[in-house]
Amino acid sequence: MINREEFLNKRYKSEKRFQFYGKSAIVLALLFLAVFLFKIFSTGYTAFQKTWITIPINYDPEFMYLDADQKPSIQDLEDSEYFDVGIESFAALDQNANEDQITDIKRMFAFIFEEEIKYHILSNPDDFGKIVEVKLTASDDLDQVFKGNYPRELPEERRRVTDYQLKIFDKLNAEGKVESNFNFSFFTNADSREAELAGIASSFMGSLFSILVCLAVSFPVALLAAIYLEEFAPKNRLTDFIEVNINNLAAVPSIVFGLLGLGVLLAVFGLPRSTPLVGGITLSLMTLPTIIIAARASLKAVPPSIREAALAMGASRMQTTLHHTVPLSLPGTLSGTIIGLAQALGETAPLILIGMVAFVNTIPGSPMDPAASLPVQIYIWAESAERGFVEKVSACIMVLLIFLVLMNLAAQMIRHKFEKKWN
Amino acid sequence: MNKIEAKNVNVFYGEKQALFDINMDIQEKQVTALIGPSGCGKSTFLRCLNRMNDVIDICKVEGEIKINDYNINQKGTDVVRLREKIGMVFQKPNPFPKTLYENISYGPEIHGMAQSKDELDQIVEDSLKKAALWNEVKDRLNEPGTGLSGGQQQRLCIARAISVKPEVILMDEPCSALDPIATAQIEELIDELKKEHTIVIVTHSMSQAARVSQQTGFFHLGKLIEVGSTDKIFKNPDQQQTQDYITGRFG
Repeated sequence: MINREEFLNKRYKSEKRFQFYGKSAIVLALLFLAVFLFKIFSTGYTAFQKTWITIPINYDPEFMYLDADQKPSIQDLEDSEYFDVGIESFAALDQNANEDQITDIKRMFAFIFEEEIKYHILSNPDDFGKIVEVKLTASDDLDQVFKGNYPRELPEERRRVTDYQLKIFDKLNAEGKVESNFNFSFFTNADSREAELAGIASSFMGSLFSILVCLAVSFPVALLAAIYLEEFAPKNRLTDFIEVNINNLAAVPSIVFGLLGLGVLLAVFGLPRSTPLVGGITLSLMTLPTIIIAARASLKAVPPSIREAALAMGASRMQTTLHHTVPLSLPGTLSGTIIGLAQALGETAPLILIGMVAFVNTIPGSPMDPAASLPVQIYIWAESAERGFVEKVSACIMVLLIFLVLMNLAAQMIRHKFEKKWN
Repeated sequence: MNKIEAKNVNVFYGEKQALFDINMDIQEKQVTALIGPSGCGKSTFLRCLNRMNDVIDICKVEGEIKINDYNINQKGTDVVRLREKIGMVFQKPNPFPKTLYENISYGPEIHGMAQSKDELDQIVEDSLKKAALWNEVKDRLNEPGTGLSGGQQQRLCIARAISVKPEVILMDEPCSALDPIATAQIEELIDELKKEHTIVIVTHSMSQAARVSQQTGFFHLGKLIEVGSTDKIFKNPDQQQTQDYITGRFG
């Protein structure tokens, strides 16, 4: 004889256990996510700051090879040399410095110090012949030192920063000459071999152009294919076969599409390599099945009664489809499209194959210019040995994630806002 | 006068035959009710009359259906023109998820019936008035049609059907999703509409058939068992099967 009281208790207990398992699974998943985000954020946030060192620059006419007695024109200043101005000003930081030490000081600054010195005098021509304080970009190593990411306790021979450089840097720091500001150049510069100058502008624009090309190619094709298959095509073996193959296409590893892009777009059609145009077309092969599947699902979700109503009013099949079925299915189709594009945005492998992994230090102005893309940029930087690129990798991941989150939000909004309710 | 003449109509769904040799005449400007138990083929027959069965891939229709002496099953029949002449109202109200105005104006627009916006406005107003809906909705023509109550939605669908001035209106159990008050309103409307239109109505409710129709056809297992004036079918049918169904002994 079963004790029914005990039996009931057992059932309650097993239900509680089941709920506990479910909750633990959710907590575990959130924990992974939190650790992942924390790691990326804590390594990456410093990349949005950049270190500057202010030092007195001696705009001595002698170093600029200009006549001291005569006020130079802007054109003269433009044509002048600034390397010596820099070197002499660096040497002035330490009166007793020997040649090696002066080179050490020079290496404390980004190699574009000449440009920065020139830029200052061009915007302040009155400083000609004077000694004025100018803000120069610190080298990536000192940038890391200032942000506290550099292991100063390592023995000198294992460091890229010399003891002498640290001494000068600490002195300047104590005088309040070192500051860090928001790193605009991270967003406006293209990639660079120097971490302090490297930015995501090229890869961001590359990604943007790629997904625009991808959208322009895949959306119309996918929509037409989905409409034809769902609304017009007879249901027979051939259409079943096509349907199975579309579903298979969605499961093909992305690198295979990269090979296809390489073999067909570059080799046969001779399109320019490393360009968002080729990248976008290659990615559109990936998004095609995703959009077709989403569009067909949302066409299927339109109640047949709407089609019957239109047909019974004497609308042709095309009118029924274009006036009623497609507008009703668009919210679902659009959010499916955005999800597909978001996948394409995060795709690396096919882009590497079609050459978008090249080092590109220009910002593309059109889809026909060579460019990197955000995920490939992450890959390129992650390969770099320099310490300065570590934070850049995380920062780039953050930008990519924000991009993706915004796209997914847009998909959600479209779905909620435009979805029509029927009965 | 015969508006519709069906001769030897057979319908197949794939291998399965759904209608067997249906011969039936439908009178002009009268209400003809099709009754019978579920699955007897009455809706299938109704959908033959405006060729809505074309939508179903596996469905095949044989035989002759003459409307105004023109066989609609012959090759080259323009179904768009046909459905302009023969409107349809479905079992479940199915307004377009658009505004009330657009629901009614859609038919006249695609058939190019209005020359101007004023003319279109007039058609919308007339159709809604004929469907006895005008007074309830005239102030909210720009609200969605799906926001109306079930009975109002069905009257909207009737207004939509009559907006293109069809000669025949087919109704497939138009009241089965409605409450008794809404049903009564629709029945009144049907009585009004038969002055200008020929109406064929499929119904599950025998009392409804008795109330609204002048002719009744009784279907059973894909065959037309008996057809005649509603009075005769309900009071003194020729067939025993009809008698049994009317009196509720089966079905």
